[in-house]
Amino acid sequence: MKPFNFIKAAGGTQTVKQKKRTGRFIAGGTNLVDLMKKHIEQPEELIDISGSVPASIGKKAAGIRIGAMARNSVVATNPDIIAAYPLLSKAILAGASPQIRNMASTGGNMLQRTRCPYFYDPTLPCNKRNPGTGCSALTGDNRMSAIVGWSENCVAVHPSDMCVALAALDANVIITGKDQLTKTIPFKNFHRLPGNTPEQDNNLPADALITAVEIPGNAFQKNCFYLKLRDRDSYAFALISVAAALHLNGTTIVSARLASGGVAHKPWRWYSVEQFLEGKQANAQVFQQAATLVQKEIKTLPHNVYKATMLQGAIEVALQNCLNA
Amino acid sequence: MQPFFEATDYFPADTDGRVEAMAKVTGKAKYSAEYQAPGLCYGFFATSTVAAGKIVSIDTTLAKQADGVIDIITHEHKPLVPGLADETKIRESRFGLPVFHTDKIYFKGQPIALIIAETLEEATYAASLITAIYHAETHNIDFELSHPKVALKPDGKERGSLQAWQQAPRMVEAEYTIRNEVHNPMEMHATIAHWTADNKLKLYDKTQGVNNVQRTMARLFGIPNDNVEVMSEFVGGGFGSGLRVWSNTLAATMGAMQVKRPVKLMLSRPQMFMLTGYRPQCWQRVKLGADENGKLLGLYHQGRNSTSMYENFSEGFTRECRLIYTVENLKTESATVPLNLSTPTWMRGPGDCSGDFAIESTVDELSYLLKMDPVELRLKNISNEKDPETGKPWSTNYLSECISRGAERIEWKNRPTGSGQLTDGDWKIGYGMAVGMWGAGRQNASAGIKMQKDGSILVQTAMTDIGTGTGTGIQNVAHDSTGIPKNRIKIELGNSSLPPAPSQGGSTGLSSITGAIAAVCNALKQKLVDYATVVDNAYKGMNIADLLISETGISARSGNAPSISFTVLFDTNHIDTIAVEASAGPGDERQKFSFCSSAAHFCKLRVHTKTGKVKIERMVCTVDAGKVVNSKAAANQISGAAVGGIGMALMEEQNADNALGSLLANDLAGYHFAVNADAPIIEVAFINKPDFNSNPSGAKGIGEVGIIGCAAAIANAIYNATGKRLRDLPITPDKVLMG
Repeated sequence: MKPFNFIKAAGGTQTVKQKKRTGRFIAGGTNLVDLMKKHIEQPEELIDISGSVPASIGKKAAGIRIGAMARNSVVATNPDIIAAYPLLSKAILAGASPQIRNMASTGGNMLQRTRCPYFYDPTLPCNKRNPGTGCSALTGDNRMSAIVGWSENCVAVHPSDMCVALAALDANVIITGKDQLTKTIPFKNFHRLPGNTPEQDNNLPADALITAVEIPGNAFQKNCFYLKLRDRDSYAFALISVAAALHLNGTTIVSARLASGGVAHKPWRWYSVEQFLEGKQANAQVFQQAATLVQKEIKTLPHNVYKATMLQGAIEVALQNCLNA
Repeated sequence: MQPFFEATDYFPADTDGRVEAMAKVTGKAKYSAEYQAPGLCYGFFATSTVAAGKIVSIDTTLAKQADGVIDIITHEHKPLVPGLADETKIRESRFGLPVFHTDKIYFKGQPIALIIAETLEEATYAASLITAIYHAETHNIDFELSHPKVALKPDGKERGSLQAWQQAPRMVEAEYTIRNEVHNPMEMHATIAHWTADNKLKLYDKTQGVNNVQRTMARLFGIPNDNVEVMSEFVGGGFGSGLRVWSNTLAATMGAMQVKRPVKLMLSRPQMFMLTGYRPQCWQRVKLGADENGKLLGLYHQGRNSTSMYENFSEGFTRECRLIYTVENLKTESATVPLNLSTPTWMRGPGDCSGDFAIESTVDELSYLLKMDPVELRLKNISNEKDPETGKPWSTNYLSECISRGAERIEWKNRPTGSGQLTDGDWKIGYGMAVGMWGAGRQNASAGIKMQKDGSILVQTAMTDIGTGTGTGIQNVAHDSTGIPKNRIKIELGNSSLPPAPSQGGSTGLSSITGAIAAVCNALKQKLVDYATVVDNAYKGMNIADLLISETGISARSGNAPSISFTVLFDTNHIDTIAVEASAGPGDERQKFSFCSSAAHFCKLRVHTKTGKVKIERMVCTVDAGKVVNSKAAANQISGAAVGGIGMALMEEQNADNALGSLLANDLAGYHFAVNADAPIIEVAFINKPDFNSNPSGAKGIGEVGIIGCAAAIANAIYNATGKRLRDLPITPDKVLMG
């Protein structure tokens, strides 16, 4: 990798002032270091935020606040998270490997780059890595690519499992801007679709820092499930994943949340399915009908036609498993 | 026969650890890249960004200015290797890729420069600053598109005639494809090259055969074999990738010559995907005819595999069909398809593993056509007595027993006779089986023993232990042969200055070396009798079988010869050590018999009908590999191979972009091999009947048969569960769902 300076973050709002445009914050480093080894990221300076950004997890009146430095394995095994947000715990445990989860931070997880193989090979054209060079996956190997929200410029998918649960649970991202002011970005607006600017994964302003994630309270503790379909049973990115959560009154669905990974440039919410489910009976027939609704939203690529079938099956199975949970 | 290992009591009674266990778990065991040498510097490859053409120029300006860079080797700036001096010598060398001795580009990822720097970090960064201008030519890495254009040629002797069975009452015919698979052992290939004098070379090299590296490098550099010392004491996995000498060994040696300092060169993980071989992509077609009772009448097996533009590598997957069944009419044809990729090489169960998938899937398909149990169909046609290819009697062959025992273990009787009959909610459950065979070879090998005055011995051989437990196997055989307690037997391996031995590959390692160990143990006993005779004439002419060796000295099994302590024995003869060396190899038993190892693989799995997910519930592997001399490591070999088989069946695939001429996802996250979560506890059992014709220990090779047959057993179980006959490996969830 390219030689770089390594400094400790000053802490507090001073941290954002330290950062130059050519620098990068480093938390767990589980993605950034890989990218540096491949010369995809070549920062002049790394600012280690592991000692200065909060890692605590604390209940709040209207929900829970997870410090951006909280490690994925800590979040997944936190008793308050398991009790009140089991979907988040399940999603995190479906991702990566124990070793990676021990290092990876909550904020870093949200900022991880796509695993599209073209992005990872600097010798190949890729609009996300090198804007204007074209999208190799569009005409190449797109078996793992997007089926919704993609553009001619980029068909990459967001790799995170944790973020699928955060999207389903209507989380908020707390950031500190370069101006040292704290802002909140609703999770659904945090990640972007590729459009004409696939090099931008998200709406985090330049040089801003994620400090926490907040999740409002909900009634999805009892009936939720995270289903991840992948080429192997551990340490593989999703072909399709589904985060499903139901709030039931008897057998009636009061409200539903449904989101997917492996389908889009961002964690994708299936709002139309959620609306369909609300007020209906929670049973196999309803779930089957609900799952078919995604078909009109998606547009597959030559090598990922299977995802249409797999997604429909996965939604059905995830919803069904909410009842068995 | 050893009983089946129960899941709760998986490990066999022999609980001794490996001889090298403590060294490995405490980090004392050193792998090739972990050694130091005076003034050591570091190399790193810069590689081609195009897949075909010629290098016009390489710009090293920026790289040379980077911190720590000592020198940069390219085809224009290098020490000339005599054995690669011109096109003719390159061809004659059979080395493969003539790295830095050509301006031709054969594949993307081909090394074009070796950066040598003071640190690994400096070398790696400087490599990223190298740019090259190429005269790019049209590349071709598209096997699917290319293979039909290559004419098939006869491969092996035809039996009977193709016409004789074209009207067979039952006929199945189908095509099978397998994608490229890579070895990627945990330890990446690495070399430390050190010229200790102008014509003396010392190498620490990750390899499966130090003598092979020694001969290859001596030949290339025009120096005597004895001037090249190669060490590979510990090897972090091989799977066949260490059976050749690759560009890292040559380049490090060139680098060390150039900068007159020792150079360490370790491949990066992405480079491992293209510079150390792989199992080639293949296409196969099998036509199989039988009568109404399931007697096989004819077999026609055709196939092509990919190779590189600069070497021809034929995998030999039509070999397997000649071994297993009695088939009077048999014809095989093959061809290789040159592509702009590096040269493939042997990978665990090479050839037979790929061929077996096609053959054993076809046999399974025939069983459904016949409405006959696939176990019964196989038992009916297996050639139990003689090698169907040569007509020679098998020395031993317990494949049919493997099948019966495996069927019993997995409760084959519960298998639904038709497909798609067993359901559990959205899951379909199925059973499948397949067999695998491997010719059990043996090669010449040598070993030495040094006995100290305290009666302890050191057994030495150049053979490596690539993780298969060779050292422990040697210790066990030496203990059985001499009676010397195991804790007084030390093992030293993997150094070319020790008694020579073949590479550890093709399941011949243990079979070859145990012969040498038995021979050298006899040599030691003879020497002890000779020395004992000096002490007491009662030992004169004693048969070595009557000699007993204890912790304190020697004695006679019977008769009048008194016990002699080691102290007396050594002192009386005025010696400090006793050193013996012996060689052994195959003899005329190879003319009389054919030799094989074999295995039956059984699988029970479930397939999710809505998501395409396959979950393997049970794998049972019953194996005939002669006598098991090291039961724990043997079970481990089979278990590991079966997990490799799960990978082959369900996920292993080197992705590539044909248009761009590029491999994709060259890392362990992008290339999926099976992990623990994908595998059940593999239930392993051995027939454990010795084959003393094979070698004095009665053991036969075990490395390959554990994987040969696994993929077909899994594919056949998927068919039994779902009625989907999937013929394109790997069988990923999308193929299950859409198939």
